[in-house]
Amino acid sequence: MDGGRLGVSGAGSVLQTLGARLGLAALLSGLTAVLLVVLSGHDPVAAVQALAAGAFGTRSLIGAGLDRSTPYLLAGVGVALCFRAGIINIGAEGQIAVGGLGATAAALGAPVGSPVAAITLALIAGALAGAAWSGLAALLHLVRGVHEVLATLLLNFVALLLVQLLLAGPLGQAGAGFLQSPRFPPSARLPRLPLLDVHLGFPLAVLAAAGGTVLLWRTRLGFGLRVLGASRSAARYAGFRPPVLTMLVMLLAGALAGLAGAIEILGLHRRLVEGFSNGFGFRAVTVALLGLLEPVLVVPAALFVGFMEAGALSMQREVGVPTAMVTVLEGLTVLYVLAATSRRGLR
Amino acid sequence: MDLLASAIRIGTPLLLAALGGLLSERAGVFAVGLEGMMLAGAFAGLFGAWATGSAAVGLLCAMLGGGVIGVLVAVVAVRSRADNMVTGLSANIVALGATGMLLRLLSQRGGASGGEAMHWVPLAAWSPPGLGRLPVLGPLFVQPPLTWLGLGGCVALTWFLRHSAIGLTLRAAGESPAAALAAGADPRRVRERAVVAGAMVAGLGGAVLSLQQVGSFTEGMTGGRGYLALAALIVGRWTPFGAALACLMFGGAEALELHLEAAGVGINPYLLQMTPYLAALTVLVLVGPSAQMPAAIGRSYANDETR
Repeated sequence: MDGGRLGVSGAGSVLQTLGARLGLAALLSGLTAVLLVVLSGHDPVAAVQALAAGAFGTRSLIGAGLDRSTPYLLAGVGVALCFRAGIINIGAEGQIAVGGLGATAAALGAPVGSPVAAITLALIAGALAGAAWSGLAALLHLVRGVHEVLATLLLNFVALLLVQLLLAGPLGQAGAGFLQSPRFPPSARLPRLPLLDVHLGFPLAVLAAAGGTVLLWRTRLGFGLRVLGASRSAARYAGFRPPVLTMLVMLLAGALAGLAGAIEILGLHRRLVEGFSNGFGFRAVTVALLGLLEPVLVVPAALFVGFMEAGALSMQREVGVPTAMVTVLEGLTVLYVLAATSRRGLR
Repeated sequence: MDLLASAIRIGTPLLLAALGGLLSERAGVFAVGLEGMMLAGAFAGLFGAWATGSAAVGLLCAMLGGGVIGVLVAVVAVRSRADNMVTGLSANIVALGATGMLLRLLSQRGGASGGEAMHWVPLAAWSPPGLGRLPVLGPLFVQPPLTWLGLGGCVALTWFLRHSAIGLTLRAAGESPAAALAAGADPRRVRERAVVAGAMVAGLGGAVLSLQQVGSFTEGMTGGRGYLALAALIVGRWTPFGAALACLMFGGAEALELHLEAAGVGINPYLLQMTPYLAALTVLVLVGPSAQMPAAIGRSYANDETR
């Protein structure tokens, strides 16, 4: 644990604490952000002002930021639980896409008059679809030894094309010019909260995060996941069956991601649109890692990423800094955090 | 024959990326970052060629572009011993964001017209004298230069891994870092170098897309080919020619897709686009796990681990 390996010599004792390492990572991220803005030929102060105004300027902008954070939070909690168990599930993107598909099928295929019933049905359909997709990846991994990273990654591409396939066919709106489904009936729209101007999905996601922490630290399953992440043989020794744990946590993560997809569709788009989940998979990984794989800490991480992106749109509009800058920053920040936490044992 | 010829052409970016991934994985580092290395190579290669008018400079830039992503992976995954998979994935995102950002900045510079951004006349096909005019087999030999490079790379890499001293050390770092250390090599340094060298080769794979196949760059143009290359090297059992065969298969799936589409066969286009991914998954399922996977892959190593 010498600081020298971090490239900071003579500061070994300070860098021994995880907090200090994370602080350094945060500092590096901030500096990177400024550097990126300057490199793209713009004024960092103006950029930060535009970003803050775009993220927090009005009540409805704050609501939009919360909306944006919701799918990252839900899927991120699932990814965090998987990573805790040592399972690198990068399939959130596909699971979200398929979740949206399931919700759409329920909303359009089984029109129910009562909003409570219609929304519950669509949310459950989304969660089940997501779980089926992650379960498929887990099956390939457990039965045929396909590495879970490749199984989940390749299934992402299949899921995105599956959405397009169905939108071009049975689920699509004929003559729309875009790949999209018809609008959902009003009963299948997720209500917005009166106070915060955010859809119902956000409090659900916060609940899921709290539930994730309880599961991880207060249940036998959670204990099993943590032991499995530490050592496969220890898990077996403690009386757990690793394949069962793997399947369970993958199904749970898939259900959360599927729920995220359903909420995104029912709460924001009110119809299934092509590519609505693009980039969500990596965001889920990002917020899980920024939240140090601790489900409740994924809440602030998801809010951070969500508001950052909401602000970046206005930054591009007002100042001209490309939104892709946020993507670079997210990737680099994860790398900093990985480097800062790695030898402390991520799991 | 036509189909086979285009399978070879389409498989080329996969092949070069898979060869780069081989270097990294045989040294013990998972090559999930191939996608980003290809993307950076595709962008940098096109930029270099477009800015200087020279394909050679473009290829050099492609190697540098891929190499930059390789350095990121090497520092975080090898030096800091972070999880290989997540590191590679993050490097891919950095590459996606950085190329997207640079592309946008370039077209902003390009003026109000929105910028006919970068473009390049795709590299022309070439065949060894005489072979191209053979009956039946002829079309197979008429291939663009980077395809020949990929085939040459297969031979060279096979020899390098099997018979050269550096290749032996590289494999030792992937199979048993402690043994490599005992033999006087520094496993971490070997891995770092292998990752960066592999990234440069994968960058060339990206350049195949931008310089040889399309002649321009679009955001995220690799579209998962880096992951297919990763699947190919696993299916090919971590050997150059095995990987080449797998790339040919995945390339064939895409070539078939294009041929059917051109022939106007009424198969759903989205289903056709799925074929390379489904083919990769199917083959992975069929071949199952392998004992040939480098034994110490993904396992971080510190030279002072015994301390």
